[in-house]
Amino acid sequence: MKNRTWTAVLALLLTGTLGLVAACKKKPPTTAAGAKPTAEESGRTPETRVPPPPSGTPPGGVDSGVLPADVAEINAKGYLKDALFEYDKADLRDDARTALAADAEWLKRYRSVQFLIEGHCDERGTSEYNLALGDRRANAAKEYLVSLGVDASRVKTVSYGKERPFCSQSTEDCWQQNRRAHFLVTAK
Amino acid sequence: MRTSLARFSAVLVFLCAIPLAGQAPQPTPPQGQEMVLKITKEAGRKLPLAIPPLSAPGVAAMQSRVVEPFTASLRSDLEYTGIFVIADPAHYPSGSRDPSTVEIADQWRGTGAEYLVDTRGEVTGDRISIEARVWDLKSHQLMLGRRYSGGATYVERIAHTLANDLVKEFTGKSGLFLSSIVFVSDRDGSKEIYAMDFDGRNVRRLTSHRSLAMNPDARGGKIVFTSYIHRFPQIWMMNADGSGAREIPTSVELNASPALSPDGGQIAFSGSAKGNPDIYVVGTSGSGLKRLTMTHALEASPDWSPTGRQILYTSDQSGTPQIWVMDAEGTGPRRVTYAGNWNDEGAWSPDGSKIAFACRNEGDFNICVMDFPNGNTVQLTSEGSNGHPGWSPNGEKIVYQSRRGGSTQIYTMDADGQNKRLLTERSNNMQPIWTP
Repeated sequence: MKNRTWTAVLALLLTGTLGLVAACKKKPPTTAAGAKPTAEESGRTPETRVPPPPSGTPPGGVDSGVLPADVAEINAKGYLKDALFEYDKADLRDDARTALAADAEWLKRYRSVQFLIEGHCDERGTSEYNLALGDRRANAAKEYLVSLGVDASRVKTVSYGKERPFCSQSTEDCWQQNRRAHFLVTAK
Repeated sequence: MRTSLARFSAVLVFLCAIPLAGQAPQPTPPQGQEMVLKITKEAGRKLPLAIPPLSAPGVAAMQSRVVEPFTASLRSDLEYTGIFVIADPAHYPSGSRDPSTVEIADQWRGTGAEYLVDTRGEVTGDRISIEARVWDLKSHQLMLGRRYSGGATYVERIAHTLANDLVKEFTGKSGLFLSSIVFVSDRDGSKEIYAMDFDGRNVRRLTSHRSLAMNPDARGGKIVFTSYIHRFPQIWMMNADGSGAREIPTSVELNASPALSPDGGQIAFSGSAKGNPDIYVVGTSGSGLKRLTMTHALEASPDWSPTGRQILYTSDQSGTPQIWVMDAEGTGPRRVTYAGNWNDEGAWSPDGSKIAFACRNEGDFNICVMDFPNGNTVQLTSEGSNGHPGWSPNGEKIVYQSRRGGSTQIYTMDADGQNKRLLTERSNNMQPIWTP
C-alpha cells in the first residue's frame, strides 16, 4: 500500500510541475516571441503560475461534480477503486464487487470518462499463463461494470500478467496487491 | 534417411571402435547415429582428443589474435558436447604431428588421447586458411581432412565450423557451435528481444520498443514476439538480425506467446475475445485468423509439433494448468500431463519423441521431460524456480530460465539434465529459444 501512496504523491507533484511547465509555455505568445523567461519571471512564486480553474467551477470543485482538468490528476485522486483477486482466479470476490459497484456509480455520473482496465497477476506461475489470467481479470471487472449499466464502448482492457507488479516482495501481502484489475482514466 | 550410405557405414565403423566390453547387447536402434551417442553416454566414458595449438608458422604476431582464440574455441566447443574430453596439453609431445607411424602415434597416445586433431593455419593478408586433419591414433588412419578459409578476424567462426564437422563425423548429429539463442532481457531498462551465441557470448539487442517486447519464438530466420509498443499487445515479426520488423494485426486481444509453424506460414498464439483466452492461428500475412480451442477455460503457450500437424498448449480446463495436445486444425484435444498441479510451457523436441515443460507439484517450478505421448517423465532440475524450456536444434541440449537469489538467468543442460551451464549474468534474462 505504501508504494501506491508514494506513487500517488509523486503523481500529484508531477502533475503540479507539469501544470507549471504548461503555464510557462503558454506565456510566450503574450510576450516577445521566442524570448527566454527573465530571471524575474522564473523567480516568481509558484502560486502565481497555477492555471485558474475552468470557468464555472464553483468552490469545492470535484465535490460539486466537476473533475480536475488533467487526466493524470484524476487518476492520482483515485476515484476508481481497483478489484483484487484470489490466487490463480479471475472470479470477483465480494470486496471486488463492492469496489466495482462504487466505480459503476462514479462512471455513470461522469459519462464522458473513457477508461482502461489493466489485469495484473502475482509473480507465481509462468509469464505466458499469467498474461492470459490477467486478461480474464480485466474482463471480469469490465463485464461486471457493463452489467451495472456502464457502456462497454467506454472501456478498454489490457493484460500485463506479472510484468508490471505494484510491489515486489515475495510475500502474500505483496502478492495480493499484485492480483488486481487496475483502473486508469484515459480521457475526461 | 537423410544420411548417405557412406556416412552410415562410417558411423558403423566408428561404433565398432568403441569398447563395448561387459555391456549387454543393445536393442536395434532406428538410426545408427543415435546408438553411438547412447553408448558413449551410458558407458560414462568420454572420447579423449589431443588438440595441440593451431600451428601457424611465421605468424608469431598472430598468436593472440589467431592461434589462441582458435585453439581455445575448438577445445571449449568439443568439451561442451559432453562427448569428448581434451587430453592435458601439458603432456603433448613437441615433435611431429603426423601419427601415421607407430612411433609418433604412440607418443600421442601417451597423452591419453585416442584421436589427434592437427590444425595448421596460413595467413595471407587479411585472410586465413586452416587445414584440419583428424587421426585415429590406434589405427594410424586419417579420419578426416578438411580445409577452411575466411577473414582472419573470423578464426573463432572457423573453429566453430570445424567443431560442428567433428561432432557430425563422430556422432552423426549436427553440432551447435554456430547456433544462437534468442531471449528477453531487461538489461537496458524495459524488456527487449536479444540474441546471443550458443555459449552466451556476443549478445546483440534486436528491439528498441521501450515498452514490453517478450515471449519470442524463432524459426527459419524469423522471430515472432509480443510487443506493447502501442499500449495494447500485438504480435510482431522480424528477421533474425532484428531487421524488417512489422506488426501482424489480429482482431482479438492478448496476442501472447506467438509460435511459428514449422513451414513458417502460420503463427499459433494465445488470443482473447471477451476475457476468454484461447489458442488461435493467423497467417504471417495477418490473414486467416482462426480460433482452435473452444473452451471457456484459459489456453496459452502453444508449440507446434515438428511436422506441423499437432499443437501442444496449456489449458486449465481440468482445474489446474496442464499440457494438452490437439491437431493443428483444433480437433481432437486431449490431455498430456497428469502429475503435479501445474504443467506449462510445453516444448516439443526436434524429433517429436519428447516434450520438455515447466512442472510443479509443490514449491518451485522445475524442468521436466516426458516421452511423448504418454511415457515416462523425468525431472531435470532441482535448484531455483525454473521455466521456459527450449530444445537445441539437434535435440541434445535444453535451454531454460532459472530464478535464483532474486534474478532470473538463462542456463543450458544436456537433455538428460547433466552438464548445467549458466549463460547470462546481467540483470534478468529469460524466455530463451534456441535457433540453428
